[in-house]
Amino acid sequence: MKSNIQLDKHVLICYIYFGLQSSLLLEFLIPHLEDPMSTQISLKDLERNVFQKSFHDGLIDIQIGCVLLMFVIAPQLSPYLGDFWSSMIFLPFWAVIYLGVREIRKKIVQPRVGVVEFGKYRKSRQKKLGLVILVFNLLVLALGILSFFNFANLPGWVHSVRFSAVILAGFSLAGYMQEFPHLYLYGILIALAPLIGEFLYITFQVPHHGIPITFGITSFLIILNGLGIFRRLLKAHPVTSQEILE
Amino acid sequence: MKDESRENEENHPLSEIDQVIHAPGRLMILVLLYVVESLDYVFLKNQTGLSWGNLSTHLAKLENAGYVVIEKGYQGKKPKSKIELTTQGRKAFKNYKSSLQMVLDDLPD
Repeated sequence: MKSNIQLDKHVLICYIYFGLQSSLLLEFLIPHLEDPMSTQISLKDLERNVFQKSFHDGLIDIQIGCVLLMFVIAPQLSPYLGDFWSSMIFLPFWAVIYLGVREIRKKIVQPRVGVVEFGKYRKSRQKKLGLVILVFNLLVLALGILSFFNFANLPGWVHSVRFSAVILAGFSLAGYMQEFPHLYLYGILIALAPLIGEFLYITFQVPHHGIPITFGITSFLIILNGLGIFRRLLKAHPVTSQEILE
Repeated sequence: MKDESRENEENHPLSEIDQVIHAPGRLMILVLLYVVESLDYVFLKNQTGLSWGNLSTHLAKLENAGYVVIEKGYQGKKPKSKIELTTQGRKAFKNYKSSLQMVLDDLPD
């Protein structure tokens, strides 16, 4: 019973952090190319491809992976810091990652890839996504509170299923609105983590509902993928200087 | 004879095509600028695959025709330019698109 309450606290904090982080991620959900010389040139496709290309630098992937690390490390710190502080300790860590990614984008990516500002169509899509994410975060918060108090005395796997459904819905929505298929895949990968973790817990009595293991694998894969994309980008785009043209 | 040839050239449907836009390099630049609000030299170079020299020449021609505007500025100590399509450029590109489509549509299969 005591361990259920501890889990519920983690779930609540994870929900809140997930909501906060997805809001932060929004800034990065901004700015690739299908063959523009296909039989019919579609300017809309070209716009979408330019948007995807400017967004595909691997940094968003690294950031998502770093967010997931909280689910790996927080349960380990819980006996020493308590449920609340073991999760809260990640706020400055996320801030450092967020600022670091912003600086890397500004100082390393932009001089190589360039800067592009999108038109009204894309901006209005961004605004709509912002609104949807806000509503989605409120929903996540409400679900987190319900899980925390566990009024209906639901078994642990119900919370895992609920958490997975919220993650999958959130990532799918972001992937659809941003026209960025990568996010669908991440949604599936991340949504599987609590389910598999719960399975490991029920079957093998793995501590912390298996969350550190499953989220550890997922975050490792996502960070690795991000680093791979980032490395390819650095190789494909050597530093260029606009001074040549000035 | 020369006058007749010039007259034929002027009456040819392709004479309606804007020659400033029609060059492949400039067309690539305009297509990209048409779908976004603004971009910089580096992004344009990466997307078009043109050399710095070609890019600069094409942009100068487009700027002289009043189709693009290039804002040159600085971000810290580094030069930072912003290239935008002007209203005239957007209109010219739309006209080019419809003229070319009309000419191509008239061709037999």
